[in-house]
Amino acid sequence: MSSRRFRASKARALHSRGARIWGPALGLLLVLPLKLVTHVPSDQKLSQGRVKRENRPNRQSPLGFERIMLRILGPFYRLVIVPLVAFLPASLAYRVACLQGDLRYRLDRSKREEIMRCLESVFGDRLSLPEQTRVTRDFFRLQSCAPVDVTRLAGKGRALTRLVEIRGREHLEAALAAGKGAILCSAHFGSFNCAMSLIGASGFPITVIGRWASNTVDNSRSPIGRLLSRLVFQKTIARYRRRPNIEPLGQIELAFEVATILRQNELIGVAIDAPLRLSGDRARGVTVDFLKGQALLLPGATSIAQLTKAPVLMMLLHRSADWRHQVLEISPPISMEGDALTAFKRCLAVVETAILQNPAHWTFWNFSDLVALGLLPEEALNSGK
Amino acid sequence: MESAINEYISRELVSNPELLPLENDSPLLLSGILDSLSVLKLVLFFHQRFGIIVAPDDVLPEHFETIEAICKYLRTQHQVQGVQG
Repeated sequence: MSSRRFRASKARALHSRGARIWGPALGLLLVLPLKLVTHVPSDQKLSQGRVKRENRPNRQSPLGFERIMLRILGPFYRLVIVPLVAFLPASLAYRVACLQGDLRYRLDRSKREEIMRCLESVFGDRLSLPEQTRVTRDFFRLQSCAPVDVTRLAGKGRALTRLVEIRGREHLEAALAAGKGAILCSAHFGSFNCAMSLIGASGFPITVIGRWASNTVDNSRSPIGRLLSRLVFQKTIARYRRRPNIEPLGQIELAFEVATILRQNELIGVAIDAPLRLSGDRARGVTVDFLKGQALLLPGATSIAQLTKAPVLMMLLHRSADWRHQVLEISPPISMEGDALTAFKRCLAVVETAILQNPAHWTFWNFSDLVALGLLPEEALNSGK
Repeated sequence: MESAINEYISRELVSNPELLPLENDSPLLLSGILDSLSVLKLVLFFHQRFGIIVAPDDVLPEHFETIEAICKYLRTQHQVQGVQG
């Protein structure tokens, strides 16, 4: 064995031993304070609805404390906790993520209530209060698991890929065998950004149409928040994509660029449930039945598919009940019969079914996005509902 | 060429009848007649009708501003691709 290989092997052994010894210890150190700070609501308490703030003992000024905690918690979790725990054994890493989700659920009362009101608006009586509460808690947990997913994509991404089962890979291979590329339609569902990168990590050349969260067009993030998002989050997931994201900003060459990529027999990934925020997009949007309401969306993916004859497949990433394993499900090609809108409705029906089955996975449970989608009236933004 | 393109745009791409009839110098981008998808449709039409292949780098706003601009660009391309072909 050469000295270089020996050193590498020794480093691996040390790392492995270190992970065995220090992993659980570090995890415990991180989890214990969280356990002490949070009182993680049990399912029984969750089923009784929100725990009343005034009933909590020893809380002199909960609002001030919560506000400070929330300001600190988000960046601290993403910048300190996640890098520390992401490469620990998956069960521990995602346990910490769930605890962080529970903590946020507990502290972020306004966000929690916003989600529950959104759920109530869309689902009405079909989702009981205990179910709404469970979905809301799961939403926070999923949001906390996503940064761990992204961090585990670092390096060769094996830390994440070994936790994700890809179902329907054969549909993708068959679609590409026809030589016209393929469009992978997805939604803002689960760790959707990782889903696109996982396809790339599996050896498929994929380019994604979508604006990064760091883009200044439609978000209210601070410049530092955008910079961190670019450096920490965007950089990792962009590595597995063939080209930089195609960010729709009203440029006339976008569809042509997509058609050129498809002609090279590559994949285009796009989330079809994005709220339209640019006035130009809204002017071209079409109203479609979605989540028991009328949503304003762009059927561009199916229009391009019909023009280029590229097949359209649906792709959704579901997190399992153990929180660490995920299933990336790829559908057979969706029929493109009829006009672009009819074909788009078929794709949207797949997304809708997934959201109705697993509402916590959908990221748009907030007033701003639901209003932009057209699922809530404008007044919701002012009145808080 | 102008009349063929005018007819195609008027028939296939104009959704607001108030914008018709189109003049050869009517603004296509500013009026919202052309967007990303309709530019792609136009490019496919150019290939089918005139046998002209539009290069990715040539899909620029100045080539699609008006029917006149489109025809000017297509004539240049016709010469270039004709020489190369």
